[in-house]
Amino acid sequence: MDFSLTPEQEMLRDTASALFSREFPSSLVRDACYDPVTDGASVAAAAFDRHLRPWISMGDESVVDQCLFMEEAGAAITRAPFWSASALALPLLRAVNHPDADRLADGSLTATVALAGSTGEWIANRDLTKMLVTDFGLVDIVVFVDAGGNTREPEGGSDSADTDRSHTDSGDGSAGLGGEALVWVSPAADLEARVVENLDLARPLAEVTRPAMGDHQPRMITEADLHSVLERASVVLAAEMVGTARWLKEATIEYVSTREQFGRPVGSFQGLQWKLVDASLELEKAGAAVYYAAMCLDADDPDRHRATHVAKSAAGTTARRWAKDAMQAHGGIGYTWEHDLHLYLRRANAADRLLGDSAWHMEQLALDLFESGQQHV
Amino acid sequence: MKLGWDSEHESFRSELVSFLETHAPPEALGGRDLIGTDTGDIPQWARRWQAELFDNGWMVPAYPPELGGRDADPLECLIYAEELGRRGIPRSVHFGGYAIVGPSLLEFGSEEQKALAPAAIRGDTIWCVGMSEPDAGSDLANLSTTAVLDGDSFVVNGQKVWTSYALHAEQCFCYVRTDPDAGRHKGISVLTVAMDSPGVTVRPLRHITGSAEFAEVFFDDVVVPAGNLVGELHGGWRITMGSLAHERGGLWVDGVAAAERAISDLVKLSISMGRGSDPVLRRQLTELFVEVQSLRALGYKGFASFAQGSSAPEHSYMKLASSELRQRLYETGMDIQGSFGAITDDAAAVDAGRWQHSWQVALAATIGGGTSEIQRNVVASRVLGLPRG
Repeated sequence: MDFSLTPEQEMLRDTASALFSREFPSSLVRDACYDPVTDGASVAAAAFDRHLRPWISMGDESVVDQCLFMEEAGAAITRAPFWSASALALPLLRAVNHPDADRLADGSLTATVALAGSTGEWIANRDLTKMLVTDFGLVDIVVFVDAGGNTREPEGGSDSADTDRSHTDSGDGSAGLGGEALVWVSPAADLEARVVENLDLARPLAEVTRPAMGDHQPRMITEADLHSVLERASVVLAAEMVGTARWLKEATIEYVSTREQFGRPVGSFQGLQWKLVDASLELEKAGAAVYYAAMCLDADDPDRHRATHVAKSAAGTTARRWAKDAMQAHGGIGYTWEHDLHLYLRRANAADRLLGDSAWHMEQLALDLFESGQQHV
Repeated sequence: MKLGWDSEHESFRSELVSFLETHAPPEALGGRDLIGTDTGDIPQWARRWQAELFDNGWMVPAYPPELGGRDADPLECLIYAEELGRRGIPRSVHFGGYAIVGPSLLEFGSEEQKALAPAAIRGDTIWCVGMSEPDAGSDLANLSTTAVLDGDSFVVNGQKVWTSYALHAEQCFCYVRTDPDAGRHKGISVLTVAMDSPGVTVRPLRHITGSAEFAEVFFDDVVVPAGNLVGELHGGWRITMGSLAHERGGLWVDGVAAAERAISDLVKLSISMGRGSDPVLRRQLTELFVEVQSLRALGYKGFASFAQGSSAPEHSYMKLASSELRQRLYETGMDIQGSFGAITDDAAAVDAGRWQHSWQVALAATIGGGTSEIQRNVVASRVLGLPRG
């Protein structure tokens, strides 16, 4: 496999890097949601409109390109429905030929997807009445996914976590849709929702009450196509987490190289050095795993399912580890509200829990590994 | 970024695969880690196989045909390592000759010394490499074996240790101190020493698996012709660095391929031992799978930088990561067996003792070729740029 970037890809990465470092300083997200000032939210929204809306169409590009862009996005904390719209809603609407896909791609519409139930995993289950939705309040429309006609009835009759688990344990990582699902769109303004404070204030979550489909016109999506959409969203989110971990790593190395105790930089102590070496190795591996998965998705390679689970769990694990190790290496200053570290710590820990946390993705892998192992014993 | 390579390189792959499928001896296909035999000699099949690879241009593909290669480009070399690694086929059971001595003679040697390279690479001459000493392990620059120039000969005194295949080697590529008053790195030279010279004594050193390809080598007033100096007098440190680079260069594909094979075999082993539903074991194996797959991707990412001529920090990580990973994998193989995991009688053990044996072999992987601790120090200063202690 060839990891070398084309000149166009290098330019894309450099453009994204410059865009986020120039236009999205941490003051923007602080003024909008951490230390809110009167016009903070509107200034952040204006920055999104001006600088990120044109890039929502990345959801139509190759997964590798979108990952290159999102890795840079992850190194800056923005309060914007960018991942929800470009990596999740656009590919989903595109997969069902929904007319709103074009409006997302041309920047005239923003969207999110009602994706998570109480377990934080993808559940396309019409029995769930409360859905946790990312970036609600920042978008124009919400896309719902309903299980199709021949849905299995939940055993035990309730939508408890156990039932959810039985739906996701079908062995191929599917959401137990019974072959197909229905995709439909509701204006965000029509929905009943309650904002739920979560660790990452810059990626707000809301508990949306599932409305009746009513006369919204649903479109059918096959389980396989839905799966592809989710794989794309997961891998792109993994790329974002790699960018977040990279920021934490760079900030930490800079800090320990200058902070002195006992008359020498603390970064010269072997105990701290080895901790950072091991965490850096893990980050390098996760970054490579993410782009391998992106290549698999672009090529529709048979390894795409496993590669996605590897990428999402590796990126989530490394982002959380870096958040913890960065805080430890920074000492007291990292524990303060005024230092930016906590913005990244919050994002890392919240993002890992979107679209299935690392443990869930590893369980999907285990199901696959042991099922194919069984066939070869 | 893309998954496959172009058709020209894929046809290189087909040619190699068809050669391996028709020529590789059954002994090379065991998939068992080969680190010598109990007596430390080099089996006949391995000698024949190495010569056959050389004669067909498959021993060191980057070299020209007269040196056992076919002028392969870096990508072809990677494909070569992939295909051998995937099948667990060793090209030689003694890496010193083809991976260290041959390349060093070609780069630093006189014309007469360069002429020794083909036999070193083909395995016709068995070489050992005299580097480590009792007080010069990780701190190689502390070596104290001396060589004093006396007329047209050097007189060598001192001791080497952990010297692979010394018992059967005909020649030693030996690092010696030629100027005790110069700085630690400045007074070192390299000599080739015939192992049958008077004053050379070899004592086998059995290691933990019971095999004895290691040895201690003692030099007592050994007279070595001055013409056996490789490169410049007192200029040996450069060659040291070169040799280690040869040793580290292409190791990752082998290590990753071995780990990939191990993972899929471990899953089967746990199912066949009735432990396929053990949640702790499943999680442990899945974490290892994630590690192996990520490490494989990292290796290829490093290769992309390497092929474009930039430095590849990834490679500094690969040895550290793959050596520690293999230990964990093989130990897991023993854990799956429960009480049987401690049985080292191959006839009675599960999988013919493969996991127990490989685990013992892998314990050396975090020590030899630069310990994991040294690797971490190197990454800290050279890759992360952290301040030196």
